[in-house]
Amino acid sequence: MPSRYLFHYAQVHNEFRLPELQSIAELYGIPYTLPQNPEDRDSTRPFMIVELDEEEHARMLARRCILIKAVYEYYGHGSTYDELHEVNRKNESLWARYVQDTSFRFLVTSSKHKIPQSRQREVIENFAYMGFLGKIDMKSPEIILTCFEEYEERHGTTRVKHEGDGEFRQVFFGRLIEEGSARQLVGKFDVKKRSYYGNTSMEAEISLLMANQTLASPGKLIYDPFMGTGSMAYPTGYFGALVFGSDIDGRQMRGKQKTPGVIRAATQYGIASRIVDLATFDVTHNPWRCGELFDSIVTDPPYGVRAGAKRLGRKRELSERQKELCLQHSLAPRPDDQPYIPPTKPYELSHLATDLVLLARYLLKPGGRLVFFLPTVTDEYEEVDIHTMMCEGMELVANSLQDFGSWGRRLVTIRKVTKERYPPPTFDPMLREANEETHIPAHKDFREKYFQGFKSKADETKG
Amino acid sequence: MVRLITHNLLACHAKDCNTNNFPLEFKDVQLEIREADFNPDFLKGFMPKIEWKALVDTARQLGDTSLPLEQPEMLDDEFLKNLHHVLLEIHVEEGSMTCPNCKHVYPISNGIPNMLLAEHEIG
Ligand SMILES: C[S@@+](CC[C@H](N)C(=O)[O-])C[C@H]1O[C@@H](n2cnc3c(N)ncnc32)[C@H](O)[C@@H]1O
Ligand SMILES: [Zn+2]
Repeated sequence: MPSRYLFHYAQVHNEFRLPELQSIAELYGIPYTLPQNPEDRDSTRPFMIVELDEEEHARMLARRCILIKAVYEYYGHGSTYDELHEVNRKNESLWARYVQDTSFRFLVTSSKHKIPQSRQREVIENFAYMGFLGKIDMKSPEIILTCFEEYEERHGTTRVKHEGDGEFRQVFFGRLIEEGSARQLVGKFDVKKRSYYGNTSMEAEISLLMANQTLASPGKLIYDPFMGTGSMAYPTGYFGALVFGSDIDGRQMRGKQKTPGVIRAATQYGIASRIVDLATFDVTHNPWRCGELFDSIVTDPPYGVRAGAKRLGRKRELSERQKELCLQHSLAPRPDDQPYIPPTKPYELSHLATDLVLLARYLLKPGGRLVFFLPTVTDEYEEVDIHTMMCEGMELVANSLQDFGSWGRRLVTIRKVTKERYPPPTFDPMLREANEETHIPAHKDFREKYFQGFKSKADETKG
Repeated sequence: MVRLITHNLLACHAKDCNTNNFPLEFKDVQLEIREADFNPDFLKGFMPKIEWKALVDTARQLGDTSLPLEQPEMLDDEFLKNLHHVLLEIHVEEGSMTCPNCKHVYPISNGIPNMLLAEHEIG
């Protein structure tokens, strides 16, 4: 019979919480049930009660979900202590086995608030009916019982110490099963402590969340076609997957020393052997011999702010200098991607996004996932934007916003649901324009919008 | 890096080079052997993707003769270990890969192949 577990969550990246839980549960084949009431699974709140078949499943989730702070065996909750105690008494069968001689520690804590010592003691005393006979052990107890008060976040208001004490939204009670050990990886993968990174590197916590969306695990093959300095390769490799990376600009992956920067960073994490290979190429002119190769594709596509989206081809007539370089390159290619820099032309974001989904449909194995960031303009975004880039055989799994105010980026997870084989995309803008749907997504021409400071259409006509 | 698993997946992609464009031919290679995690399930899952003849020929050219000419039916441990070594532990660090058809040369430096095409090679 399923039992209830109390999940304590970090209150960050709220929209990533449920997709991460879904992904890791799918990875390990863990059945779970979320609370029925939408208010009780509200991702801005610190606690959520989840039904699972086994305690071991709770542990597995706590060891892999980046956003889980801890998991508890659920004993009770309520909007008052009376309600909580009533439930807790009914659940006696869950904790009766600890009554006789289990050493324990009792904690009373809260989120966004500090409970005065005196009231903490009072709360503990009110649990006396549980009649625990074991010794109280503050250092290494056999079990830890925790009572949490959930306070509403009060933005912008400074509260006097202990102000509003006791005015919590809900109070929860349970036995600690496991602290969320995956959260420590946020420190381990800290970009600033990495031996190689650049201005396109992705922050550690987000890279880890992306890696979880890919279902990375031993035996999987994962690909980043816009590899840059390789931020997502490290956590995916750490979770056991083998990773390929490619980039149009080899210098991003190499850095300045002989051993490529990506390999140096991977060595630091003990996973150099999992970076299968790095290669320099334009993903729109790629050398993959066949499709259905990868379990996942994870990437942060260039959207023209820090690292311009470009593709081989020319925008306008080449300069004499560039022509000379081209000629030299074809006569005697240089191995290290330098000094030859092929002519490139800009790559509009909505085209890139559509191409990426088509490419993923070709390169992913059936059931494989595409995980990538799509930047977008907050005021203009509509849900249909995502659908403008979808194609037959691909299905949206999750779409989580990281909000930066006037713009944001959405971590999009798409699954290849078809077993059918599709040809590689043509990457031909001419062909595409003919079929283009009439809806223009907010991420179209994102780069221009970014540099114009996201003026709305209305502002423009006014001005 | 370039490992033979990768080499087995890369074909020349220059414009109009569609036949006889695989496998790319290694030249002037510098090899390194580096250990990788042995995962039999991964190998078994990956086998259908391998162009077997290209893999065996390339391995032999680089001095490894451990693989049979025909893909065996029975995947015993010894075979899988050899396959693991060939696919994942032989790294081509320097040298180049040439297209058998159009003769495009893809140079390799510090283990990274430059697969970029020049302007006249893109369609
Ligand atoms: C936002 S960055 C990716 C950053 C990366 N996640 C990291 O950790 O550094 C985008 C990368 O895409 C590359 N790029 C741009 N256009 C490309 C193309 N057509 N094909 C392949 N790579 C491309 C850029 O050189 C850049 O390194
Ligand atoms: Zn060729």
